[in-house]
Amino acid sequence: MRRNFALCITLLVAAAGWGTVLYAQESRVGGTWTIVSTEEPDTLDPQKTGAAVAAAIFQFVGEPLLAHDFSNRVVPGLADSWTISSDGLVWTFKLKAGAVFHNGTPITAQAVKASIERAIAPETKSPVAKAQLGPVKAVDAVDARTLRLTLSEPFAPLINNLGDPRLSPIDVRAAESAGSGFGRAPVSDGPYVVKEWVSGHHVTLARNPAFTWGPPYMHHGPAYIDQIIYRFIPDSATQVAAFESGEVSQLGLPPHDVARLQATKKYQIFRFLRKGVGEFLEFNVTKEPFSDIRLRRAMNYAINKDVLVKVVLEGLGEPAYGPLPPSIWGYWPGIVDYAPHYDPAKAKQLFAEAGFTPGPDGTLQKAGRPLAFTLYTTPADTGVRTAQLVQANLRGFGVRMDIQTYEFGTILEKFKKGDQQAGFMGYTYNEPDIMYIWFDSANIGSGLNFSHYADPKLDALIDAARHATNLTKRAAIYVDLQKYVVDKALWVPLWTNYNYIALQPWIKDAKIHPDGYVFLGDAYLTKR
Amino acid sequence: MPVLLVVSVLVFLMSHLTPGDPATIMLGENASAADVARLRHELGLDRPLAVQYGRYLAGVLRGDLGRSIRSGRPVALEIWDRFPPTLQLTLGAMAIAAASGVLLGALAAAGRSGAADTIVMSTSLVGISMPSFWLGLLLILLFGLMLRWFPIAGGDDWRALVLPAVTLGAQAAAVIARLTRASLLDVLPSEFVRTARAKGLAAVRVLFRHALRNALIPVVTVMGLQFGALLGGAVIVESVFARSGLGRFAVAAVQSRDFPVIQGIVLFAAAVYALVNLSVDVAYLALDPRITYDR
Repeated sequence: MRRNFALCITLLVAAAGWGTVLYAQESRVGGTWTIVSTEEPDTLDPQKTGAAVAAAIFQFVGEPLLAHDFSNRVVPGLADSWTISSDGLVWTFKLKAGAVFHNGTPITAQAVKASIERAIAPETKSPVAKAQLGPVKAVDAVDARTLRLTLSEPFAPLINNLGDPRLSPIDVRAAESAGSGFGRAPVSDGPYVVKEWVSGHHVTLARNPAFTWGPPYMHHGPAYIDQIIYRFIPDSATQVAAFESGEVSQLGLPPHDVARLQATKKYQIFRFLRKGVGEFLEFNVTKEPFSDIRLRRAMNYAINKDVLVKVVLEGLGEPAYGPLPPSIWGYWPGIVDYAPHYDPAKAKQLFAEAGFTPGPDGTLQKAGRPLAFTLYTTPADTGVRTAQLVQANLRGFGVRMDIQTYEFGTILEKFKKGDQQAGFMGYTYNEPDIMYIWFDSANIGSGLNFSHYADPKLDALIDAARHATNLTKRAAIYVDLQKYVVDKALWVPLWTNYNYIALQPWIKDAKIHPDGYVFLGDAYLTKR
Repeated sequence: MPVLLVVSVLVFLMSHLTPGDPATIMLGENASAADVARLRHELGLDRPLAVQYGRYLAGVLRGDLGRSIRSGRPVALEIWDRFPPTLQLTLGAMAIAAASGVLLGALAAAGRSGAADTIVMSTSLVGISMPSFWLGLLLILLFGLMLRWFPIAGGDDWRALVLPAVTLGAQAAAVIARLTRASLLDVLPSEFVRTARAKGLAAVRVLFRHALRNALIPVVTVMGLQFGALLGGAVIVESVFARSGLGRFAVAAVQSRDFPVIQGIVLFAAAVYALVNLSVDVAYLALDPRITYDR
C-alpha cells in the first residue's frame, strides 16, 4: 500500500515536472527574429552555392551528419554514431531514427546516399560541397539506417567538413522535380524551412515543428523562434538605423558603429576574430605584370597594412600576413615574422631589381611600358575603401592601379576564367584545408584557385596535409605550406576583421558558437 | 511609337556591340567549343545582325524579352516582379512633389515678394541641391530613429512608403514649386483674372482655381519630364531604404553584365516614359479647353 502510494507520488511529481518543462518549452514558442545581411545568396541549393550567406542561412535549414559543440568537439548531428576504419578509408554512420525531410519524406540511408552522390556529380558543378567531400569514391546504404562512405585515400578534413551546413542532406527527388526552382525553395532536414524568398528583399524561414534530431547541445525538440527572416539591406547606415529602431533583431556591426552601440549598454554584443582572412590581394600569375615573382614580392613590401586596419576597420581587426588567420586551427604564429612587412626602401629596391625604373611622369616602367594594372573587387564598403587606400599607397611608388567593381557572382566567374590581373577576395572557413581550395591546381578554372597557380610541389604538400590524420604531423605540414605560399607571393594578405554581432535585448539563450555564428537553436524571445 | 522603335534598335545594338559572347557567358568556362557553337546556333547568334534584330523585335512584341543570365528566369517576369514597388515609390513621390510643389508655388506667388515667397524660394533651392542619398539618411535618422514615426527598413504598408517618397520627390517638388510660382506670376495680372475679381468672386481660392488652371500648363509638361528623373532617382532611394525594386535590380544587372535584363529594363523604362508623356498630352485637354488635337 505504502509502496503504491510512494509510486503514485513519484509518478505525479515526475508528470508535474515533465509537464512544467513541456509547458515552459511550449510557452517559449513564437516570435520573429530578423537578421540583417548585406548580400543576397546566389542560390539556396547548398550543393551549388559559393556564397557565405547561403551557408549561414543553411545553418538553420539543414542538419548535417555531424555537428561541432561549443568546445569544438565533433558530436552527433543527423548521425547517431559513427566508426572510422583504422586505415581511415571506410566511414560508417548510423542515422537517427525518425528523421524526415521538410516534405515529410523519411531520411533513409538511401536518401542520404543520393544526396551525397549529387554533390559529387560533375553535372552539379558544386563549388564548395564537392571539395569538402574530397576523395570520397563510393557511398553505400548498408541498410535503411546505415550509411557507408569509402575513400580512395585518408582525408583529414572530412570529419570537420561533415558538420558543414552545405553538406546537409537534401531530398534529391524533390530537387529533380523542382529543377532550377529548388535553389529558391530547397528541401532539407533542418529546424527551419525556407518559406519564401522575395528577390532583393528578404528570405523567410519558418520553424519546422517535426524537428527532433538536433545535436546534443541543443534541447531535444524543435526550435522555439517561429520565424527567422534574413533581410537584405545594402547600405550600412540604414542597417544600423533599422537595428536601433528595433525593426531588425540581429546585425553584423560596421566597425564605425561598434563603440557607440557598446556605450549604450542596451544590446548583447558578441565579438570574435573572423575565421578567415578578411581581405587579401590575389595575383593572377598567368598574366602580365604579375607573372613575375619579383614584382609580386615587391608589392608585398609596398603595401602598408596597419593603415588599412586603422582606417577601414577603425582599428577593429589585425593585419594579415599569411593565408590562414589566427582563428583557424593550423595557423602558424611564426608567419608574422616570416612574412614581408611594409618596408618602402626594400620595396623600391625590389621594383628596381624586377627591372622597373621611374618614367618621366613618375610611373614605374619597364621597356617603355608603364607599371599599371586593374584590380577587380566587389562593391562592398570595406573592399572599396581598402582598394582606394591601396591605390593611393601604390601611387607613391609609381605603380598605377585602377579599380573595377563587379557584383559578387560576376566576379567569381571572371576570376575563374582568369580575366583579372589582380583581385580582392576574402573568405570565411573552418578548416586549414581552405588552402586546398585556394591553391591546389585542381581548382583552376572550375574552383577557387583564382591565382591560376599550378605547382606540383605545392600540390604535393597540400595532399600530404589532407592525408595526415596525426594532428602534430598535420600541423607541421601546414607550417611548411604557409611558408611556401608566402615565398611564392601569390597573395598580399591584408587584414582580418573582428566580427561584432549585436542582438536586441528581447532574446534569451542565444549563444556565440566557436564556428563564428550565433546559435539560435535554444533561443527564445521575451517579446513576441 | 517611333521613339520606342528607335530605342529598341539602340538597345539591341548596345548588347551586340559590347565585348563578350553571350553564349560563352551563359555556358561558363568549362564548355567545349562544340557546346558553345550549338548554343550560339540555338540563340540565333550566328545569323546576320538584321535577322537577329527581327527575331528580337518579334519576341518583344510577343512579350518575350529573353532570359536572365544570372537567374535563368524570363526577363519579363523578373521585371514584372519588381516593378510594383518602384511604381508605388514613383507615384508616391510624384504625388508628394506635385501637391507640395503646386501649393508652395501658389503660396509664394500669392505672397508676392513677402516672407512666404522668400521662404519657399530658399527651401526649394535647398531641395534642388540636396543629394537624395544624404536627404534619405537624414530623414531616416530624424523620423525613423529619433521620432519613430515611420519604419526604416519597412514592409508593405503605406507608412513604409512615406520617407522614401519624400526623399525621391523633394527635388521634383522644388522644381515644380518654382515653376508654379513663375507661371502664376505671369497669369495673375491677366485680364480674365481681373474680370473674375471684379465680378466679386469671393474666395481667393476660387481665383486660384481659375488662375491656376492656366498657370499649370507648363507645370504639367515639366511633371511629365520629371517622371523620368524620378525613375532614375529611384535607384539611389531604393538602395538607401532597402526596397526591392526595378532601380536596384537595374544596378545589379549592370554589375553582373546581365545583358538580357539590362536591355529589357531600358526598353521597359522607355515604354513607361512614353506612356507618361502621352498622359501629359491628354491632361492638357482637361486643363485648357482651347487645346484640341486634330486627328
